[in-house]
Amino acid sequence: MPVTKILTAGIGEANLRDINVYRERGGYKQWERAVRELTPNDVFEACDKSGLRGRGGAGFPTGRKWSFLPKDVFPRYLVCNCDEAEPGTFKDHMLLEETPHLVLEGILLGAYGINCHHAFIYIRGEFKRGYEIFMKALDEARAAGLVGKNLFDKGYDLEVTVHRGAGAYICGEETGLLNSLEGKRGEPRLKPPFPAIAGLYGAPTVVNNVETLAYLVPILERGADWFAAAGTERSKGYKIVSISGHVQKPGNYEVPVGTTIRELIEIAGGLRPGRTFMAVQPGGGSSACIFEEHLDYPYDYESMAKAGSMMGSGAFTVFDDTTDFVKAAFNLIRFYTHESCGQCTPCREGGSWLERVLHRFVEGRGLRSDLEMIRRVGHAITGLNLCALGDSIEPFLLSVFNRFPDQFEARLLKETVQA
Amino acid sequence: MIEATFDFAALAAKLGPKCDALIAQYERPRSALLPMMHLFQDEQGYVSQDAMRFAAGLLDITPAEVESTVSFYSLFFRKPVGKYMLQVCRGLMCELRGAEAIMAYFREKLGIGHLQTTGDGLFSYEEVECLAACDRATCMQVNLEFVYDLTPTMIDDMIAGMRAGSYPVKPLMQSAQPGRTWSVRQDGEVGTGGKSPGTRTSSEPNNAGGVGDSSGIIMLDSFVTKDISFTGRSRERFVRDARGVAEIIEEEGSQGNGAHAGH
Repeated sequence: MPVTKILTAGIGEANLRDINVYRERGGYKQWERAVRELTPNDVFEACDKSGLRGRGGAGFPTGRKWSFLPKDVFPRYLVCNCDEAEPGTFKDHMLLEETPHLVLEGILLGAYGINCHHAFIYIRGEFKRGYEIFMKALDEARAAGLVGKNLFDKGYDLEVTVHRGAGAYICGEETGLLNSLEGKRGEPRLKPPFPAIAGLYGAPTVVNNVETLAYLVPILERGADWFAAAGTERSKGYKIVSISGHVQKPGNYEVPVGTTIRELIEIAGGLRPGRTFMAVQPGGGSSACIFEEHLDYPYDYESMAKAGSMMGSGAFTVFDDTTDFVKAAFNLIRFYTHESCGQCTPCREGGSWLERVLHRFVEGRGLRSDLEMIRRVGHAITGLNLCALGDSIEPFLLSVFNRFPDQFEARLLKETVQA
Repeated sequence: MIEATFDFAALAAKLGPKCDALIAQYERPRSALLPMMHLFQDEQGYVSQDAMRFAAGLLDITPAEVESTVSFYSLFFRKPVGKYMLQVCRGLMCELRGAEAIMAYFREKLGIGHLQTTGDGLFSYEEVECLAACDRATCMQVNLEFVYDLTPTMIDDMIAGMRAGSYPVKPLMQSAQPGRTWSVRQDGEVGTGGKSPGTRTSSEPNNAGGVGDSSGIIMLDSFVTKDISFTGRSRERFVRDARGVAEIIEEEGSQGNGAHAGH
């Protein structure tokens, strides 16, 4: 089985929340080495050469994202995005609670890599326990001289501020996050300008996911080539996959990118006895389902796009033959409608509209005209919004609507069926 | 049970230095708004009008700006809530593993529904979106502490423990008697706690242009019926292919007119 423990190494075996335990296992060595021996550009080069891509969902190459920062414009900021709320994703939650020092070391390395002196971590409001754990880790690191002024006597200052959200999925969108960090409503901003040009307080800002930053630690330790050796041609390295739904052992599994869908299901213990595979949603609530014919596809950015879906944040939900896809679609649409910030009409109105139409189906009162309506409204929402939330409404719905039309037909109002 | 008047001045005096420390963490004071509101909610049980006015004064913004911001976030309660905030996950992954039965059990045991508080002010109940613990579905939070792999027996024990005062999670502060719900509704809103009334106020969303936020419905309807083709849809830009920001900026510039010509 291809499970490879890198970020997840030691979780469940040692108390990694304790700085001494973390350091005994080699923790903060890369941070010390970076400040003492490497230039920020060395860290950038390692990150860029490794082929690391954003693990928060968009899969944007991390090195390239950093490279968009205008040269010699200061201050600049690094923001670690720990507002994990994509339905089905639970890896950052685990990293934050189980190995907070690794998360912090990743942030420190990222901040050094872009040469900034103030980094932030935005923690989802619901992760109160994780917030407390991380605060303690940060205090320990500060007391050990790993965060603060004149680090390792090399004249480099770095402060880390922890910012707790208060319950809004949209704050995981990077510009929504920045607004929330500025003490405003977490509404996404119009892009461009992208955060790299004008982010937090209008200054150049990089927003990276927790897992992305955490991978900087092993990349510096073992080298960019080691990371780039795993994975597929354009999707390098490793990924924590959050496997949930109808499998026997749901959980976070760290694997090389490109492990097949079939293998991932097996890793999570396979289906329950006597059940048949129906679909996988491979990239969180925002992604379209993929089906039996895709079981041997490698789990990477390109293959998932080829299958009509995406790898997203690595939330991997398995559905067996007990699934009511009408209800599942209603559930996800209700989520996006609830979490829409309301700025863009297609997302705000379209989501609400679809939610109500689907609710009729759930109650067995669907109209035949709704079948066409669902398809058209779904398409009318996509791509016309400031951020990707509105675009997340359509994919799952349409994929299951096209694949299992009988489940929707069966929920039509009886008179309509006869008419 | 609860003091009739809460001494806000004393609380403000107590939290003032902490607020100053929060403000000092950021380059701009307003960034401290969310942490400050967390602080007040922890002490007062909810984000009171007093707390919002106090924050506005400290940050030199208007109380309206503070309330506008606070109202955006579902974890800030602008009215008093129960001592135990029970937030059960209704996300898809929990639903696949039996969340509906768990939620029905809670509703039956507590005798209240979504966004409601029991008459004795002990329990508040909410069905919330994915809590990022899908490997241990079905899950919930009690005063933001996770409880995993829920079963009816666990729920029985939990509720009994809370009633007896022996439940291990600390109860929330309660500085005022909670009402039936803490959800604040805007005038005219008939929805169920959505952020915008929009089509929710329309009794028949398919019948566009009728009641409710007609401009939104008309606009969406025109997208649907006219099947306008838009270039540069955001999903293709941000999700489908990960191109460089520079390329996208360049393309946006050249596409600006094209998109409008579509109208």
